Amino acid sequence: MVLYNAPTNKMLVDEIVDAHVLVIGSGGAGVRAAVEASRYGGVVMVSKTIAGKGGCTTMAEGGYNAVLRDRDSVDVHREDTLKGGAYLNDPALVDALVREAPERMTDLVRWGAVFDVTDDRQVAQRPFGGQRFPRTCYAGDRTGHEMIMTLLDRLDATDTHLYQEVSVIDLIKDENDAVAGAIALDRDGDVLLFRADATVLATGGGTQAYDISTNSAAGTGDGFAMAYRAGAELIDMEMIQFHPTGAIYPYDARGRLVTEAVRGEGGILLNARRERFMERYDPDRMELSTRDVVARAIATEVLEGRGTSRGGVYLDVTHLPAETIEARLPVMLEQFLAYGVDIRREPMEVAPTAHHIMGGLRITPECRTTLKGLFACGEVTGGVHGANRLGGNALADTQVFGKRAGEFAGKAPARSGRIDDAAIEEKFRMLDGFFEGAVNPTDVRKDLKLTMWNQAGIFRSAPDLRTALTHIRRLADKRLCAASTANLLECCTVRNMCTTASLIVRCALLRPENRGAHIRLDAEVATDPATSPFSHTYVSLTREGIERREVAA
Amino acid sequence: MKTITIQVSRFDPAVDTEPHLEKYAIQVNEGARVLHALHAVRDEHDPTLAYRYCCGSGQCGSCAVRVDGKPVLACMEEARDGMTVEPLALPVLKDLTVDLEPVIAKIARICPAPDAALPAREEIEAIKPLRDCIECLCCVSACPALQVTDFAGPTVLRQEMRLALDPRDSGDRITDAIAKGLFYCTTCKRCVEVCPKKIDTPGKAIEKLREIANRRGLTLPRHQEVAQLVQETGRSVERTQPTFLEQVPEVIEPDGPVRGEVGFFVGCMFNGRVPQTALDAMEVMKRNGIRVIIPHEQVCCGSPLIRTGQTSFIDDLKRKNIDAFASRGIRTVMTICAGCGATLKNDYETPFTVKDVTEILTEYGIELPSKLDVRATYHDPCHLLRGQGISKQPRELLRLGVREFVEMPTQCCGAGGGVRSGVPEEAKALGAKRDECVKATGADVVVTVCPFCEFHIADCTDVPVKNLTTILLEGYRKKDMERKGSA
Repeated sequence: MVLYNAPTNKMLVDEIVDAHVLVIGSGGAGVRAAVEASRYGGVVMVSKTIAGKGGCTTMAEGGYNAVLRDRDSVDVHREDTLKGGAYLNDPALVDALVREAPERMTDLVRWGAVFDVTDDRQVAQRPFGGQRFPRTCYAGDRTGHEMIMTLLDRLDATDTHLYQEVSVIDLIKDENDAVAGAIALDRDGDVLLFRADATVLATGGGTQAYDISTNSAAGTGDGFAMAYRAGAELIDMEMIQFHPTGAIYPYDARGRLVTEAVRGEGGILLNARRERFMERYDPDRMELSTRDVVARAIATEVLEGRGTSRGGVYLDVTHLPAETIEARLPVMLEQFLAYGVDIRREPMEVAPTAHHIMGGLRITPECRTTLKGLFACGEVTGGVHGANRLGGNALADTQVFGKRAGEFAGKAPARSGRIDDAAIEEKFRMLDGFFEGAVNPTDVRKDLKLTMWNQAGIFRSAPDLRTALTHIRRLADKRLCAASTANLLECCTVRNMCTTASLIVRCALLRPENRGAHIRLDAEVATDPATSPFSHTYVSLTREGIERREVAA
Repeated sequence: MKTITIQVSRFDPAVDTEPHLEKYAIQVNEGARVLHALHAVRDEHDPTLAYRYCCGSGQCGSCAVRVDGKPVLACMEEARDGMTVEPLALPVLKDLTVDLEPVIAKIARICPAPDAALPAREEIEAIKPLRDCIECLCCVSACPALQVTDFAGPTVLRQEMRLALDPRDSGDRITDAIAKGLFYCTTCKRCVEVCPKKIDTPGKAIEKLREIANRRGLTLPRHQEVAQLVQETGRSVERTQPTFLEQVPEVIEPDGPVRGEVGFFVGCMFNGRVPQTALDAMEVMKRNGIRVIIPHEQVCCGSPLIRTGQTSFIDDLKRKNIDAFASRGIRTVMTICAGCGATLKNDYETPFTVKDVTEILTEYGIELPSKLDVRATYHDPCHLLRGQGISKQPRELLRLGVREFVEMPTQCCGAGGGVRSGVPEEAKALGAKRDECVKATGADVVVTVCPFCEFHIADCTDVPVKNLTTILLEGYRKKDMERKGSA
């Protein structure tokens, strides 16, 4: 129960927790960061779900990209990543990713990860979109689950204090303007204040801001919003990856991921006329083209009337032996069977679905954000994947940058500034306000998701984006109502979703070119990714714009 | 969209002393899952409904609940009109959320050795089926052993085997497993039935851990005695009376025209402890025109050894049994012991088909008996229901044989998996629960089709326990009496 200070009629903090490093988020990046940081001092990890069950790591099916074979090279992985990212990636971050992905894989193996293995005792790898070498390591079609279970095992062996089903609602700063920790609510609405020398934000993505999304319920963009409110700078927020193949039926489960591995194992895409339409969009790479190309291809087929009656296309594996499907794609087989479709005998119906946010907090290779005391890793960060992410690079991202964030947060000096009481009181006022609000947050959430899907989706234009932004700002201003202390979190979440959505739309308006996943039907300039004069879009409380860069002729 | 009415368990520790069911009429889409129904309750009726969910696609294990008594993932189970949604059978925190921590804390974590290197392909493939677990705790909610012992739970033992199979692990998983109740599992397979990932914990973890324990000399003494007996006599039951095999010829011809023929695998229990029931079954077969061939060199099927991890001479037994029937060119072998049937079907590779007596009788169609003037209830043997997937045929046959049939909830009687001999208090406690269920039906007789269940439930209740074939035979006798009477 929330304690009230009767004389002042104010909410009080119920518990104060101190740590050397505070990690917010318990997905692949967060747990890896906590494991690393624990080498340097006391770590507290806060997760709004049961640790490891939330977010997208545990759902990730595709794989983990790493250069493991002599015939492969980090230069090729780097080139693939930069090309896939339309050369918007931060080269220093890409360098770290491709160099250290193999080392982080070695960590996982040493910690007991059960990856598929070849006959000659090497981690098995398979082909994946946009890569010139089959370097995607996998554990059946549950690679992410395998990783998070291994990471949780390893976390258990550290002294990390774990707070589960506790939701951080805002970052807290000290008198030196450094991030000093966070304020959070537990299941019952009790308030916790976490104080740390260094804070690591590993809160994952936010495509739940879209009506159709692969994300778990946790993908509401809280980290983008909280960091933005605290004054951090974010880049490339317009770069939303629409995974080409999301399921369509049933309605309530629309958008759920149909892994790229289906295409990696030989699945083909057919329109309603049973044409293998990728021939017209990328004849060299066909179904294993990069996700932005395939998503746009499917969207185009549907828009031009060659889609199924439910608004999708067919993804077909019926030509593969049943045993292959059972061994390599058991999760897909099981899910579709639950909904009455046997993928061994009939094709799946799929359509693009909002999947990953390439943009996010601006970070250095040491995972420092633009705020003192705040580190970040994983999907909440920007720059690693540029304008389009390769499948299999996200899981690698969590490990490479999770470790770096944990290391540098762990090495951070003790923080001495006092926490501003007024800031905490301001949060309490906000929470109190939710008890007085009148608008159902569920209605606002639904409205927001539809707005984003319809006006800030795959194909964008300035008029749509501006309409969206106005509408989102109106939604953000609504006074949300919490029916009880347990509902405070829903209000905070919807608030965060509105902030994340507005950042996406603002950045979409700032980039006038077509680049990677971002398509402006009214693009003012035609550019080529490798030579485009545009670099990152950026947005913060104090400034916004698009960077320019010199490109060697 | 459609409207459905569902019941949801509500409990607020701040104001309630215990959970109660609330009814809600809600609008849901076609194909909606239980999770979406819960969203509808929250959105249309009560925003304070507490329940967990995250991935929405059966991968994170957050949303496990009981629907009409069965643990399921709310995001994968289709919503139906009239369903009752309750929390898992674990301590309730609020509404549908339960305290998972105490069980999750018991799941062991890997202790990698310093030189931990990537395992070989075969080692990885052996571990993989055990690795699918998403710690949803459906198995823990459903497990009967947990109700009466401090068994840690199926997924906890599953993890012990996952670790025992991993060359990188340095822990002593067998000692751990035994401390966590390795010998309390009856291998009833209820956990497999409710597992969203269909992990075969009894077959791939419990029995295999017991096998490793056996190699380390840690098998329960009582189980070792049984293995000794099988090795010496080919039977897991001592001879205390004339056995079934001693009383029958090699071939039993039917009374009338021959409609079909089966080989008969009798099993140690019916052979040695309850031979009369097997003889009754032969009468029923005779009556229905089915010739029965009974090779006398058949031996124990090996189940008591497989379930307790004592598998060193299993191949010998298998070979003897397969040869006994194959050498006679028998194409279909009938079992009346559910345990033998499940073993022959699942643990053997047989050149012949194996069928339970209820399958045979239903396929051929039986002469109708006179209905006995009793109210009967039926106990599903685990090795028949889950081991062989048979539940309809026994009920169809039973309905033909009695005046009134009434269902009772299904649960393991407690005799299987070596528990009756190895952990008798547990077997007794689970048997007592069967007694409660039987009494609640007001039945005059509880009918079953498995010698272990028959034997054990008879020990635990004073309600008469009868085999289905005995019921049918009594029905034929009654019919014959009635005919004589009216002649």
